[in-house]
Amino acid sequence: MEYPDNGAYMVAAYVVAAVIILTYAISLYLRVRRETKE
Amino acid sequence: MTRRDRAVRAARRGAVVTGIALVGLAAVYVRALMFTPIERTQGPAQKIFYVHAPVAWAALLAFTVCGLLSLLYLIMRERKFDLMAAASAEVGTALAVVMLTTGPLWGKPIWGTWWTWDARLTSTLFTFLLFVGYLVLRGALSDFDVRARFSAVLGVMALVLVPFIHVTVYWFRTLHPDPVVLKPEGPSLPSVMLVTLLTSIGVCTVLYIGLVMQRYSLAVLQDIREEEEAGGGIP
Repeated sequence: MEYPDNGAYMVAAYVVAAVIILTYAISLYLRVRRETKE
Repeated sequence: MTRRDRAVRAARRGAVVTGIALVGLAAVYVRALMFTPIERTQGPAQKIFYVHAPVAWAALLAFTVCGLLSLLYLIMRERKFDLMAAASAEVGTALAVVMLTTGPLWGKPIWGTWWTWDARLTSTLFTFLLFVGYLVLRGALSDFDVRARFSAVLGVMALVLVPFIHVTVYWFRTLHPDPVVLKPEGPSLPSVMLVTLLTSIGVCTVLYIGLVMQRYSLAVLQDIREEEEAGGGIP
């Protein structure tokens, strides 16, 4: 079956979402860890 | 157990919940990309839906919780409601960044444009900017009571926008598709796609909870430190 050739947008969206979510989760974890050590 | 010990313990639990949610998100990626069929007319780009819609749900949930907690703070004046509202606002803003970047990446191949100033997209962007302003406002004010009162008013105002965002696709002409799950006649997706979507919504909700638990604990720890530095001490 023929589909529109737009897989690159899908890959970009999944990568961007993962990068933003992981960056925020890691930064929050590090902020909490720094605060608990002080 | 002191207030600080409770916050540290809650932060650890939040990290565990977040970790579980991230593993769940990886599983959603695998299911969406490898085990969910490609939609015939939109092609692979339609699979952005399984990230975009659940993240949008979690972001709007975060903004709603922030608004309700802000309202509670204005009524009861308890510090914990302000700190929880701020935690929810920050997590919601981070999730809204994902929503506002994956949306155009879906829009470009399907609509032929990255962005259009229609009611759904504009109101969503406006709400996001309102919460950016909320966070900037909190950073600019050092007095706890003033900061809490001003930001609570902003949080309540933003609460009004959340249901408005949902109904924009019914009230205005828009390129954005109508809801496929939250509609009166029930979901209109094939079951295999619906399961992927609902799993992703569940995972994003757990992710929101885990992140808010950590962010709230961080806010409590910062609050304790500020009180100690001011020489007050909290009983």
